[in-house]
Amino acid sequence: MSRSDILVNADWVEAHLSDPGVVLVEVDEDTSAYDKGHIRNAIKLDWKKDLQDPVRRDFVDKAGFETLLSGRGVSNSDTVVLYGGNNNWFAAYAYWYFTLYGHQHVRLLDGGRKRWELDSRELVEDLPQRPRTSYVAHDPDTSIRAFRDEVVAAIGKTNLVDVRSPDEFAGRLLAPAHLPQESAQRPGHIPTAVNVPWAKAANDDGTFKSDEQLRALYRDAGLDLAKDTIAYCRIGERSAHTWFALHELLGQQNVKNYDGSWTEYGSLVGVPIELGEGK
Amino acid sequence: MSEGCGAPSGGVSTKGIDIDRQAVIDGKVIKNGSAVTTGYARLLNADGDFAAEVPLGGDGGFRFFAAPGTWTVRVLAPGGVSIDRAISADYGRVAQLEIAI
Repeated sequence: MSRSDILVNADWVEAHLSDPGVVLVEVDEDTSAYDKGHIRNAIKLDWKKDLQDPVRRDFVDKAGFETLLSGRGVSNSDTVVLYGGNNNWFAAYAYWYFTLYGHQHVRLLDGGRKRWELDSRELVEDLPQRPRTSYVAHDPDTSIRAFRDEVVAAIGKTNLVDVRSPDEFAGRLLAPAHLPQESAQRPGHIPTAVNVPWAKAANDDGTFKSDEQLRALYRDAGLDLAKDTIAYCRIGERSAHTWFALHELLGQQNVKNYDGSWTEYGSLVGVPIELGEGK
Repeated sequence: MSEGCGAPSGGVSTKGIDIDRQAVIDGKVIKNGSAVTTGYARLLNADGDFAAEVPLGGDGGFRFFAAPGTWTVRVLAPGGVSIDRAISADYGRVAQLEIAI
């Protein structure tokens, strides 16, 4: 699979945004940006309301995903092109999610909404109308999703990549610095985790770095890519960005995203936690 | 505890938040005296590593909740604009910044 099969640039999107069989999807936690203006023909997915279970902490199940996509007019044969704010964090999460449920043709707009805006490309308020479909999802592919027991068992054995900022990794911050700092969980990181912040995989405009730069980044961080790898952050969207870089762009098949991430691990009783810059 | 990690335009409001326990950096981006509403404010730590980013608000504003220390705010805007400004933050204080591009 080549890079252009999974990552498309803004010119490609402008040329294909009216193609039948191409569905643009803006994904964000705060969808007010979509409501004020989005790429023509793009539908929206709300990371919290649409993709998360409303009661328990998990994402929507297979039947829920089928209902969601059928109602939004997405069919199994469509090429889904995802983009969003926050440097594509939530779009990368949705990419991982679509992949987990077996959608065949899914791509990410390189740079997401930010690059599109910085290019001063067209944003519209028109809402596209898409006829209902009968979407059929696959059983979830757990080879790309890690759960907490697996993470605890991975300490000192396989690669753990903490993709949060160095300040969150060291325990100086509990959340990204655009959010109020809270104290409901313990700060720090999982022992033996390597800190490779997601931002190092991206340029300032939100586009991904080249495959060569990405390989050098993870190699220089001491990551042995021959080993299994679990990526985590705070809630699993920044680590989905890194999962995309490792699993999709670099073709490393043995990489999982731990979407429970620090909000789960940092609240567990009895698990080891390390503070500071790491070893 | 916030369930998400989303960055709303302009940053999260300080309403209802105990500022004594936060090191807030609050600013505004202007051009020719008017607010810049399309662009991004990015926060870098003392080593130049990314810490956070928010889209500029309707008033050109941005807000971060940092830790005590020295930080850099980088403004990204259409036309290839990339401007850095240093600022120090501390608990109980709102560090103010106005950046002209």
